[in-house]
Amino acid sequence: MINVVSRLFAAVVLCALLVGCSISSDSKATESLPAQIVTAGQGLIAARRAPPPQTVVATRALLAKITEPVLQINPEAAGGSDFLRRAVSRRDSSTGTVEVWNSSVLAQVFLRNGVVVGTRGVGGDIIAADANMTILALRSRADRSGQRVYTISDGDATSTEYVFRCTVRSLGQENIIVAEQLFATTHMQENCTGGPSGDATIRNDYWVQPSNDVVRRSRQWVGPTTGYFELILLRD
Amino acid sequence: MIRKFGNAAAGAAVFGSVALLPSYPVAQEAEGIFQTPQRPSLNFYGTTGLIDMPSAQMMPDGQVAVGVSNFGGTTRTTLTFQATPRIQASFRYSGIKDANFSAFDTYRDRSFDVRFLLNRESRYLPALTLGLQDFAGTGIYAGEFIAATKAFSNARIPGTVTTTVGLGWGRLGSSGSIGTPFGEDRPAFVAGDSGGELSIDQWFRGNAAPFAGVEWQINDKWGLKAEYSSDAYTLETANGSFDRKSRFNFGAEYQVSDGVRLGGYYLYGSEIGLNVQVQLNPNRPAAPLRIPAPQPYFIRPSRLEDPQSYSTDWVKSEAEASVLVRDAIMPLLAAEGLTLIETRTTASTTEVRFSNERYGSTSIAVGRVARIMARLLPDSVETFRIVPVVNNLAQSAIVMRRSDLEALEFSPDVVDASLAVTGFDSASPVLRGSARNEELFPSFNWSIGPYLSQSLFDPNEPIRIDAGVQLSLAYAPAPGWKVAGRLQHRLTGNIADNARPSTSALPAVRTNARLYADNSDTSIRELYASRQWKAAPDIYTRVSAGYLERMFGGVSAEMLWKPVASRLALGVEANYVKQRSFDTYLGFQDYTIATGHASAYYEFNNGFTGQLDVGRYLAGDVGATVSLEREFDNGWRVGGFFTLTDVSSEDFGEGSFDKGISMTIPLNWFLGKPTPQSGSRTIRPIQRDGGARLSVPGRLYEQVRSGHREELVGNWSGVWE
Repeated sequence: MINVVSRLFAAVVLCALLVGCSISSDSKATESLPAQIVTAGQGLIAARRAPPPQTVVATRALLAKITEPVLQINPEAAGGSDFLRRAVSRRDSSTGTVEVWNSSVLAQVFLRNGVVVGTRGVGGDIIAADANMTILALRSRADRSGQRVYTISDGDATSTEYVFRCTVRSLGQENIIVAEQLFATTHMQENCTGGPSGDATIRNDYWVQPSNDVVRRSRQWVGPTTGYFELILLRD
Repeated sequence: MIRKFGNAAAGAAVFGSVALLPSYPVAQEAEGIFQTPQRPSLNFYGTTGLIDMPSAQMMPDGQVAVGVSNFGGTTRTTLTFQATPRIQASFRYSGIKDANFSAFDTYRDRSFDVRFLLNRESRYLPALTLGLQDFAGTGIYAGEFIAATKAFSNARIPGTVTTTVGLGWGRLGSSGSIGTPFGEDRPAFVAGDSGGELSIDQWFRGNAAPFAGVEWQINDKWGLKAEYSSDAYTLETANGSFDRKSRFNFGAEYQVSDGVRLGGYYLYGSEIGLNVQVQLNPNRPAAPLRIPAPQPYFIRPSRLEDPQSYSTDWVKSEAEASVLVRDAIMPLLAAEGLTLIETRTTASTTEVRFSNERYGSTSIAVGRVARIMARLLPDSVETFRIVPVVNNLAQSAIVMRRSDLEALEFSPDVVDASLAVTGFDSASPVLRGSARNEELFPSFNWSIGPYLSQSLFDPNEPIRIDAGVQLSLAYAPAPGWKVAGRLQHRLTGNIADNARPSTSALPAVRTNARLYADNSDTSIRELYASRQWKAAPDIYTRVSAGYLERMFGGVSAEMLWKPVASRLALGVEANYVKQRSFDTYLGFQDYTIATGHASAYYEFNNGFTGQLDVGRYLAGDVGATVSLEREFDNGWRVGGFFTLTDVSSEDFGEGSFDKGISMTIPLNWFLGKPTPQSGSRTIRPIQRDGGARLSVPGRLYEQVRSGHREELVGNWSGVWE
């Protein structure tokens, strides 16, 4: 009997020490601190070794199946694609209409007339951003310059305000293809300089439909941690 | 009337889900658009410098560096902290092998450095720094210097060239002296001296010698260094540790990653040296925190358009409405890792008291509760009172107007604007007429898992470790009550092998640690009952009794005054304790003591927190402890403390008085996922019996503070994460 007990005890101990797990009344076995760090490290290494996920190209046939607004996002650094559903569309005291798009992985992107003004659940999120100048430029499709301010999460519960001097220019007419459909657009480009030491540069590109001011496609900066997203409005 | 959310889960992928995000956050910037911050390299003392000589450079504010270097039989491990932009402090543990000048085979020593930046580098003027090395230890590395450093970059040469010239005293003035500008009377180093006291009488005395060097950072990865050293290594060369044939040192360094730099060197014409430098900044998390996006809330129609929706008919009676709100809000809070404790509502105001088991920052939890309330509550509720509670202590009432939340959600300056319209009130000790979460009490929690304990700086074995299993039990019969115990069983380890007996002139209240470790593999670390409650809106109280810590058991009572928006807090604690028997079961020894302190805590407005404790310590000595800690908004803390009591430095023994450093790192800083856990460590160069405080579980100040104004304001953007 003692033998069995001591063996059982040894097994528990071995589990505890080697795996680093601790068992508790919180029903699920909680990982100990070193084990959590090891798991996170392993995940990081696996993520680095794995080939980047493929970007999906939407087709007209797929698009025909959906009836609600869909925004495709292709994150450049992380690879892959996601398709977001519109959760909220609302006007407030600032210029334009805010839309909240929900991703499939508990993340969100906030767009104001197609310009990114926030992200949630992405990591290093844009908490808030000022897009007034850009929206006016896209709407009028005329050159414009001004200041843009991003409040970006530092990766904890604090944030930093980054100020950029930006200029939006029209690069002329361009036809783009989205889900095998041709759209006549004006290509607008926004170049910004600023950031913590004043010399960082970012560039946002927007393809705006002149008929209805909709930003059909864009490539926008979403913060220093995430880099750039390509945003394609498949159905509005 | 209360809204239901069946389809609350985020939209499923239309085409099948492909990751929007990397499955693991990567700390490096995706585009590298923000340049890496200035990151000066370290020297063999683990402080900013050349190879063996210091420079005038400072690290970026808040930076933490660890340097491990080895050459000529000497190993130095140093922790350096850039406490403010102009002050750098270091703690070092060093070993010199085969040291025939000391009683031990390997001479081991601890030392503290501090440096002050006198002039910031500008276009024409160099950085100018005054440094005190080993200013309070036994003085083996004692030296003072003043150094100037200037960086140059030129289009014709790649990278940056940094040149340093300086003048050193003490060890840094022992070779190539130019005289004794401030007097000759510098005492020599005595091995085995108890050390610890500030060596003011010897600073800048004795020989002064110039030193100089140049560092060429060729590109992002490679750097070269050369220097002229003013250290004669008198002690080491006399000891035969190495031959000093030259005053010149050379080295090459390679930046392995953002935080790690390796160097190889040729020193003093005879030795090969290695240096590993690790730097990190608490302000830049290793993995960015990622928490699931919140659900957007609805905007109420305006009262003019739809007066009907603002009807208060849903409140038949406040008790009934409170129950209604409780039942609806409980699962929504639970989904965010929050536990509802109680709630009370009127037609226009709802107060929610909750505890947070998920987020490191209370601000994130507050934001989640506010959003849930804005989604859930009937339109007539305009005022939200959000009360974070820690173990029956209602920390504060964060008062938000719902219309502000609605107006500001997507505002470009949401963080500042929402802070400006938020109120911070004290929370009443009890919420009368509330609907309580009935499932909370009694509660019983247990966990079994591994433990590791260390004993540092034994001259024969610098790191001693015990490992085993521990069982923790906690029973809470009612709010604020707790019966808790922790049982440890050691499986392996060598802490008990320490052969040094207590030689203290004081009652051996701490120096008997070895006997506690030696006497039993199984020990009851703690076993106590406690109750804590709020006596008034700003007054918190705790009473504990039992086996409070490993070496003492008894009774303890504490009272703390800490208004929500006050930077100042005052507390008193009184304990009557008896020393526990060495087997750490239930027995006691004869020694009893009444010990206690009056404490003042202050949160300075630059991120520093100070604490002053005045009272009687475990050995019966009377005095005060001064602690100063730099606290980062994300939970990192680095600090130091010292205790002066009426015990003479002779009676105290090695170190002369009690002092140490402490460091706390929040776990989510590493993991990128929300957790309130953190790792904390206090390091004393040596633990003696003077200035020793009882280690009572559950002191009030830290429990209370996380939900008070100062902590919330620093993390206010967390409300919107």
